[in-house]
Parts: sequence; C-alpha cells; structure tokens
Amino acid sequence: MSKRSNLSTLSERAAPTIVIIAVLLAWELLVRWRGIAPIYLPPPSSIVVYLFRMLRDGSLEFNLGVTLLRIFAGFSIAAIAGVTLGVLMGMSRLVARIVDPWIAALYPLPKIALIPLLVIWLGTGELYKIAISAVTAFFPIVISTYAGIRQTDRGLVKAARDLGANRQQIQLKVVIPAAVPSIFAGLHLGMGVTVILVVAAEMIGSSSQSGMGFLLIQSGQVMETEKAFASLVVLAIVGALIIKLQQWIDRKVAPWTAHRDGH
Amino acid sequence: MEVLVENVTQVWPGRKGESIIALDNVSHRFASRRFSCLLGPSGCGKSTLVQIIGGLEPATVGRVRVLDPAQPHVPRATGFDSVMVWQNLNLFPWRSVLDNVAFGLEMQGLPKKQRYDRAKALIGSVGLAGFEAHLPGQLSGGMRQRVALARALIMERPIMLMDEPFAALDAQTKIVMQEELLRVFDQTQKTIIFVTHAIEEAILLGDQIVVMTARPGRIKEVLTVDLPRPRSLEMVNSKAFGALFDRAFHLIREEVMTSMAQQTVPLGAS
Repeated sequence: MSKRSNLSTLSERAAPTIVIIAVLLAWELLVRWRGIAPIYLPPPSSIVVYLFRMLRDGSLEFNLGVTLLRIFAGFSIAAIAGVTLGVLMGMSRLVARIVDPWIAALYPLPKIALIPLLVIWLGTGELYKIAISAVTAFFPIVISTYAGIRQTDRGLVKAARDLGANRQQIQLKVVIPAAVPSIFAGLHLGMGVTVILVVAAEMIGSSSQSGMGFLLIQSGQVMETEKAFASLVVLAIVGALIIKLQQWIDRKVAPWTAHRDGH
Repeated sequence: MEVLVENVTQVWPGRKGESIIALDNVSHRFASRRFSCLLGPSGCGKSTLVQIIGGLEPATVGRVRVLDPAQPHVPRATGFDSVMVWQNLNLFPWRSVLDNVAFGLEMQGLPKKQRYDRAKALIGSVGLAGFEAHLPGQLSGGMRQRVALARALIMERPIMLMDEPFAALDAQTKIVMQEELLRVFDQTQKTIIFVTHAIEEAILLGDQIVVMTARPGRIKEVLTVDLPRPRSLEMVNSKAFGALFDRAFHLIREEVMTSMAQQTVPLGAS
C-alpha cells in the first residue's frame, strides 16, 4: 500500500516535468517535419541558441536589468504611498471620507488609458514608465491596506483594551499587525500589475531604447521571432521568480498567516 | 474585590428596527474572592453581562460598581480591577506565546527584560515552558487556552472574568483545564465570574451559581454550592453534587425550551 502510494506520488511529481518535455519535443518535431519558417514559429532549440547569443552580447542582461530597475522603482513608490494612505484611511474616518470618492472614480479606469497624457506631461523617458506602473500598482495596494485595517477583528481590539492598551497602542500593536496579511495581498497584486505596465510602457513610445518590452517590440519589427520568444521565456521566468520571492518574504515577515486556518 | 451589578438593562437595536432587551434589570452582588458562575441558555445575555462588568460594553441603564471590602467607601472605576478570558481566546496570532503573555506589561511600558521574566515564570506555571517562541496557531486548543489564562493572570488584577473559556475544548482537555483553573483559584483567591452553559462545570467550579432566564436575561435564582474546597473531579459522583445538578437542571430546562422557541425562524424568513 505504502509502496504503491510512494510510486504514485513519485509519478505525480514527475508528471509536470514529463509533460513540459513532451510539449517541447512535439513542438521541435512539428516545426522540423512540417518545415515551418522560423519567422512564424521557431523551434525551441533555436530559441535556446538565441537566448545564449543574447546573454553573450550582453543585451539580455542590460535590458532585463533596466526593466527590473523600473519595476522596482514603480513598485516601491506605489507600495510606500499605497500602504501609507491605506493606513491613514483606516485610522481616520475623515481621511477615508475624503479619499474614497477619488479611489472609487479612478480605480476602475484602465491605467493604460493614461499613457497618452503621461507621455505629453513626462515625455517617453524613465519618469513616464515609472509613473504609469506606480499609478497602476498604487490602487490595489491602497485598497487592500484600507480593507485590512478596517476588517480588524473587533475581539482583538477589545482584548487589547482590556489588557490596558490605549488608543495609540491599539493602532500600532493590534490594528496594523492584524492588517499585514491583507497588505501583503495588495502588494502581490501591485507587483503583478507593475510588471505588466512597465513592459507595456517600454513597448509604447518609440524613443524608448531599452528594456524587455523594447526588446520584444524590436524583435517583432525586424521579424526576429526567436528573439521575441527568448524574451518571453525570460519574462516568464523572472515573473515566476518574483512571485516566489514575495511568497518567501511573506513567510519570513508574517509566518502566522500560514497558521491562520488552524484557529 | 466585590462586584455590584445594579439594575443593569441592556438593549440592542434589532435588525428590523425593534429593540432587543438582552438584560432586564439585573442586580447582583458578586462576593469578594468567590467563584461565581453565570449559568443560562445561549442568548440570555450572560456574555453581555460580563462585558459590562469588565467595562468593555456600556450598559444602557444601570451601573456596575467594584468595591474593595476593606475600603467600601472608596469608589473605583470599572475595568481596571478586572481582566477577561474570552470565549474565542482573542490571542494575537502574530505574537509568540511569550509576547502574547507579556502584552499587558508591554502596554504598561515595562522594560523587556522585566516583562519577559515575569511572562516566562507564568508560562512555566501553566505548563507551557519551552513553547515561548511558538505562535498561537502552532499550539493545540488546550495550550492556547493556557496562553490566554497566563495573559490574563499576568495583569494581577483581583477580578477575573471568564466567558465560556472552555466551551470549544474537547471533553478531556476541558477536565484538565478545569483542574488548572481550580488550582489557580485556590492559590490566588481572585474574585472569579465564570460564564457557562454547562451545569456540571458550574457546580464543579463555583461557590455560587447565578441561574439566568432566557432573553430578556434576568436572574432566576441563585444557588449556593457548598462542596468543600479544594474541589476535585471525584465530587461529581457525590450525593450533594447530584442534588445540586437536579436542582439546576430543572431551573435551566424551562429556560432552554424558551430560548429554543425564540431561536426558531418562521418558514420563508431568512
């Protein structure tokens, strides 16, 4: 029985890898047998070759680095502003009342629609790319933070009051820590849209000469399909790594959220 | 410390704009250094009453006074002499056992070393030594209960209010915690007001059982438990225990029926 379950877990674990390899193999064979032109669909092997070529001439490292810097800058601004405003809204009814209609009006707006205005105001340089990603990431962060602060368990607040905490101590020692899981949820959402908006912003505005988005649009324009695929692969891997990193930080900073269901 | 509940009435706004009377003109004197149990059907306002006593809810009408029998003329503000152990514990899930227990001292501004020393001693005394760094979510129900008890005891307040603290525990853990609480009561001689809907628990723990009616909560009868202390679980089989149980059961039975009838929902209503 245990042997069988061991075997089945082993095959369960191996299954995703086997499927990935099978798909890549089928792709490679299909392209070669049917003689599909690499402009339409390059085989995986030549994508790998391109990946190494881009690594050797440094274009991958440079453009990836630039994109990551923009993501980091946009996300940091959004995180600091979003968490700060969310906490203020949660703690002061006046602030919440004033800010609420602005968020309600601006949140549903597709932020990509702001690109023309931002290009007029800021040009197509760094500022515009950081601004568009920060503005987009700001909303989910501020909304989650505010919701987290407001949804604090009333029982915990009462218990703290009973144990002698004053208003300020309740805010700092109970309300804000209790909101951490939902603040993190907002940061996750914010990071997701930051990546999207930075890459999108790099693709728009032809004066932009760097970044993964630029690399993609440029390879599309000169029909270097291999390069476009290679850039996509890199973006997918980097995206997955960012998510893993965030999950790791969550576990380090807020380990209790993993035990939450046990209550 | 004795607790004087004077003509307390509590009214909640209902869903359809009506008024729900949770407590109706309740008056009682909880004697100093005695273990009193509030026994009643669910929804009879016993939790509300302990929260009013603890200064955590204002009473709609009436008041609660805390008196030191040695200085009966010195008025005291409610809330500062009592500490609550909650039904759902209300432990801070992000704080370790040590920081949960030390919470009250931290709020008082006690330096880290001092508050940790006292917290560690208490954690040891409730049998949790070695678990200081654990988070509440990593502990079993009985261990979390001990953390909640230690967090209340560290306040060294003369009155301990307990709102069905053992209701969520399994039968065996409950017995162990009841023994633990009896030990604490014998050692500290606090005034304890303990809310429960379990008759055996009320008899085993209390000196006095305040039986409450179904909503609107009133005091139906006050029973005196004259079993000797220290109490032990064997007393459950004694004749005196059986007689008290019958008495309390008959008092509470009627109220439970009324309470059940109140909680039925007409068909079609949601």
